[in-house]
Amino acid sequence: MTVSASYFDGKTSRRHLVTLTVSDGVAQVRGEVERDCPIAQLRVSERLNRAARKVSFPDGAYLEIIDGTAFSALLHETGHRDSLVVRLQQSWRHALAACAALVAVVVLSYLYLLPLAAQGITAILPVAVDRQVGQGTLDFLDQHVLAPSQLDTQRAKGITSRFRALTTPMSDAPDYQIVFRKSRIGPNAFALPSGQIVVTDEIVQLLDDDDALMGVLAHELGHVHRRHLMRRLIQSSAIAAAATLLFGDVSAVLANIPTVLLDLKYSRDIEREADDYAIAMFKANGLPRQKLALVFEKLEDLGKSKDSPAARYLSSHPANEERIAHILGAR
Amino acid sequence: MNDHPDLPESSSPSPSAPAGSSNFATVLRDSADHSAPQAFSFSGRGAEYFRIWIVNLLLSVVTLGIYSAWAKVRRLRYFYDNTSVAGASFDYHGNPVSILKGRILAVVLLVAYQVAGYLNILLGLLAALALMLASPWLIWRSLQFKLYNTSYRGIRFGFRGSFGGAFKNFLLWPLMSGVSLGLLMPMAAQRFKRFQHNEARFGATHFSFHGSVGAFYLAFAAGIGGWIAGSVLIVVGFGGVALFQSVQSGAGSIAAFGLMLFALYAWSFLIIPLWITLLQNLVWNNTRLGEHRFESRMRWGRTAIILLTNVLGIAFTLGLFTPFAQIRMMRYRIESVTLLPAGSLDDFIASSESPGSATGEGLGDLLDFDLSM
Repeated sequence: MTVSASYFDGKTSRRHLVTLTVSDGVAQVRGEVERDCPIAQLRVSERLNRAARKVSFPDGAYLEIIDGTAFSALLHETGHRDSLVVRLQQSWRHALAACAALVAVVVLSYLYLLPLAAQGITAILPVAVDRQVGQGTLDFLDQHVLAPSQLDTQRAKGITSRFRALTTPMSDAPDYQIVFRKSRIGPNAFALPSGQIVVTDEIVQLLDDDDALMGVLAHELGHVHRRHLMRRLIQSSAIAAAATLLFGDVSAVLANIPTVLLDLKYSRDIEREADDYAIAMFKANGLPRQKLALVFEKLEDLGKSKDSPAARYLSSHPANEERIAHILGAR
Repeated sequence: MNDHPDLPESSSPSPSAPAGSSNFATVLRDSADHSAPQAFSFSGRGAEYFRIWIVNLLLSVVTLGIYSAWAKVRRLRYFYDNTSVAGASFDYHGNPVSILKGRILAVVLLVAYQVAGYLNILLGLLAALALMLASPWLIWRSLQFKLYNTSYRGIRFGFRGSFGGAFKNFLLWPLMSGVSLGLLMPMAAQRFKRFQHNEARFGATHFSFHGSVGAFYLAFAAGIGGWIAGSVLIVVGFGGVALFQSVQSGAGSIAAFGLMLFALYAWSFLIIPLWITLLQNLVWNNTRLGEHRFESRMRWGRTAIILLTNVLGIAFTLGLFTPFAQIRMMRYRIESVTLLPAGSLDDFIASSESPGSATGEGLGDLLDFDLSM
């Protein structure tokens, strides 16, 4: 088998027209240049559909193959075999299998691996990091959405001391602080990574039931105790990084859409976890679980939410009836 | 598994054979006429690159990014092997292991930088300052590595430059452009490209750059000026509509605002191709290799169509169109360029120069410097 090729010596850009043959494991270059070299010392570039293949000599000289078909036959004769990666790349069947495997890896990572990894990383990070992250958030909120509480001081103190007297379902509860605020966002309660649990006057008035209020606080303490905000932070950073990798060089807006949508599932997951924490806390203290369910019944009445099934996937919290059923059905 | 690795190629009507014989014909022709224009050609195709891309992506994901260095080498080899001019193609010689080392160092430095910023503002500022001062060195080393590992006809490219030059052109001028609120930006861009192309060489032969500062000001005026003028028109136009509607009904103004954002976004996507087109033409029409010249003839309309369809394709296929998009844009950019030889292309000689370090390249990758030549 004789293959026509261009020979470049690596010292000048001059093209030498040559032919290549192989006999007894020695490549023989003939024509404008004559050179012999054992094929074991030669390096062949990977097979591509249209690009000319190159055969490199140890000293930097190389052949650029002109007759691709003859060269393929020559390689076949000499027993050259493409690497595994090249064989994967050159076959549609394998490429599509790689595509399916990639989707599987991404989905599994999203559903299981990333939440697990986030949990692991959070466990390693000291709580002080959470505190550092949350520092200043309350000040910021105070300036923009919250106002000083107008609740009776005795009432607020009573709620706090009653909650503090309860046993937590997990040991080593972190330091936390319950703060009351009047808000423009209506009945609500939320926890900050700094360990501050903010309760609005409106939710105290809406529930009008101290047992139910214990449920709200237990749920929020669940967020603090299980360090949900740190986990969310890690998870959403990872998703943002992956989305940027995939879409970043196309459009920044495009890269943010998956981040927001995918993050919602994690948000609902931690809400369920906090509900479970509250359920366990009620059980540990012998409080009636109906009171916990009352929180969501009252919120449901208030919202009279008209969620369509599709809206549920776009929501940051699980549906109220689902949460009530879970609380009442839990053992 | 396929025991006959070459079977698919030889059973298909073998695209390389006709391409090969036409190369052969060009060879014979250019030995007769040394100054015939030589168009760059790019034989990469989206379907083939898609397979390389997806395998690269899968292996990079399952190896937690370690394979990404090998993926980079395979990607660049694909691009270089498929780019040819005057009957010979380019070659990439980067070593995946050194690229991996550079990337690991880059990740460590970036994490340290982030942590420093979290722990202490002063420490974060110091780290940012250190990174800023180091960036010209990184860009410089990255250029050296990239060019040293590129070859054509067996001759390696190279990049000389000095740290002083890199500091002035990659840091001081961009800073001046910032201080002057962008007024000096075209000047800084000209200095950047001038340094980049003047210091580049092919073997022992130097590239030179002849783009004037005035030409850069014109290109920037068209690109940025056009973007600002269009955006102002859109905002004023929609502002008027919104005002009119809010007098009639409050709800309409939100819809108008949404439409305005969409129009601004669409306008930006029309201006970016203008920008790409003007800059590539400006840079390559003013670059010489020894006495050989280049000509770039990109057109705004074509660039805009490719870019817009690429963005839509990527969005609607959840990213699977990305490799096709890259190939389409790359093919158009490369095939717009023609080499205008001043004489025979056989007389370049190699130069003996040390290779650049891959650390700069790895860091440059992660810090996202666009140094495409």
